[in-house]
Amino acid sequence: MLRRLRYPSYFLPFLFLLILGLLPFIINNEYILQVFIMFLFNAYLASGWNIISGFAGQLSLGHAAFVGIGAYTSTILFVQWGISPWIGMIFGGVIAAIFGWLIGYPVFKLRGPYYALATIAYGEIIRIFIQNTKAVGPIELKGAEGILIPFKGSSPALFQFETKAAYYYVALAMFLLVLLLSYKIKNSKMGYYLSAIGNDQDAAESLGVNTSKMKLTASAISAFVMALGGTFYAQFLLYINPQGVLSGDFSTEIAVIGIIGGEGTVFGPVLGSLILTPLSELTRIYLGGRFAGVHLLAYGLILMAVVTHIPHGVIGTFSKLYHRILLKLGDPVVSAKTGAGKTL
Amino acid sequence: MQTLIAATLNGLFMGSLYGLIAVGLSLVFGVMKIINFAHGALVMVGMYAVFYMWSLIGLDPYLSLVVVVPVLFLFGYFLQGKVINPVLKREFGRNGHAVILLTVGLTLVLQNAALLFFGAYYKAAKTFVSGMTWDMGGVVTSVPRLIAGVVGAIVILGLQLMLSKTDLGKAIRATGQDREAAGLMGINDYKIYNIAFGLCLAILGIAAALMLPMYYVQPEAGKIFEMRSFVIAVLGGIGSLSGAFYGGLIVGLIESVTAQVWSATAAEMLIFVVFIGVLLYKPSGLLGK
Repeated sequence: MLRRLRYPSYFLPFLFLLILGLLPFIINNEYILQVFIMFLFNAYLASGWNIISGFAGQLSLGHAAFVGIGAYTSTILFVQWGISPWIGMIFGGVIAAIFGWLIGYPVFKLRGPYYALATIAYGEIIRIFIQNTKAVGPIELKGAEGILIPFKGSSPALFQFETKAAYYYVALAMFLLVLLLSYKIKNSKMGYYLSAIGNDQDAAESLGVNTSKMKLTASAISAFVMALGGTFYAQFLLYINPQGVLSGDFSTEIAVIGIIGGEGTVFGPVLGSLILTPLSELTRIYLGGRFAGVHLLAYGLILMAVVTHIPHGVIGTFSKLYHRILLKLGDPVVSAKTGAGKTL
Repeated sequence: MQTLIAATLNGLFMGSLYGLIAVGLSLVFGVMKIINFAHGALVMVGMYAVFYMWSLIGLDPYLSLVVVVPVLFLFGYFLQGKVINPVLKREFGRNGHAVILLTVGLTLVLQNAALLFFGAYYKAAKTFVSGMTWDMGGVVTSVPRLIAGVVGAIVILGLQLMLSKTDLGKAIRATGQDREAAGLMGINDYKIYNIAFGLCLAILGIAAALMLPMYYVQPEAGKIFEMRSFVIAVLGGIGSLSGAFYGGLIVGLIESVTAQVWSATAAEMLIFVVFIGVLLYKPSGLLGK
């Protein structure tokens, strides 16, 4: 293993990892660190979305619903009953997974645009419900006003930290875990089944793939991942409201990141976030409220350009570039495969 | 009882207007088989066009149609020709994700360009019918809504006549039924696509003029109508114009009556529940085959 680290195709990823791991020590600027946290977080969410929409080709435009379920579950458990968000996170994940399974059961009968329409509809139902409901029995949803999370000072057990760096490491850990999960799924039997479903569902079915079970499983996993992201979002911002965490725009943003990067690949969503997050965060910081909407305008233009000119996302272009760099560095593993290498 | 009659009437008028907007969506789907996720943003574009004709030149929204309808038709024609057709040609025979995403991108662009240039403020046009009501023996209805309902129904009827009687209408329907066969009959299919999209925008321009005396204009003004249009188009059988009209009436009634006897939130949610229900059990629409 260590000897292999001499090869660029092994040490380059390690180098990236090392840089990511040491980043808070390199960067003192809080704003820039914030941008990196959002980069990791967006990549995380887009990767979660990618499990059902990318691998299995079921375009979801309502994934904010699952993020919202996670955020609301852990927040309500914490604010009302003092249960640590770390535990609430798991609860939220399980509830979202059950919800993803249940909603998928009828909705997966629909194909293509009809499925996308249905995802918008359930996303909207949940948003409208929470936005207009003050409380359900003892559970206080607080409607449109949203829920403020009290800051208890530095208390890691309660998912609250004083420094941005600590949040950065939580985001990094979640990011790496979701990449590992994506990689495992993609390279498992399930991943092949999902990709068969994405290509041609009827053909997959006729070859004996249990398509509805596969899609339901992928949907539940995807919902679970999204919900954990929701808890992070809540603890990081210390405020959640339905117009933010449950909005249709948020759902669209998650999908756009995944698609621009390259849906159905492990690293596509990461690249999408790498391109789009700095764009949105920097415009937000420097142009502020005065030019509201600039980042979404840019998102829209980039999305249209990508759909028109690079239909499979930037991952393809990037992949070629990366292999060319490896070849330039004289990597024997890649050149042995005549430059083709593993697909990312 | 009188409030319930008023709610029913208002529901029908609103439903007719919703139907008119949904007809645009249904027409585009019927001909090109794409679901236009930018429909709401295009409604908003129409509303701004009508609004600025009123605020800059002082043209009454109803009169401004003379200018707005042809301009929007051309806008739609070129949008389809220059932006959507290239992707449609490449994606022919695939699942249609790319075109959905293109229209999602278009929505982001239009909505945020409006936010950037016109600001997030709510703008309203005060015309001679704004706030006018009509009292029919205790049943009160608003005049702009009445006009919207009646004109909406007339426009839908006119469009249907045009599609069934004129050569252009027949060419549009033929392209919708079988693009390749239509092409073999000498119909320029992509030009028909441009015309269909132009027609959709012209319809939205009319709807915008009907809406302006009663709605505020802002960058997200079209969103609610887009959601309604999805529901209505699916309810009536997507691609069917008369279906869209009846679907509009149903949704208008659900909205207005539920809000009256229960709450506006319940109405809002009920519409989506009906939507998912129809999608699941009769995706061809309540009135479809």
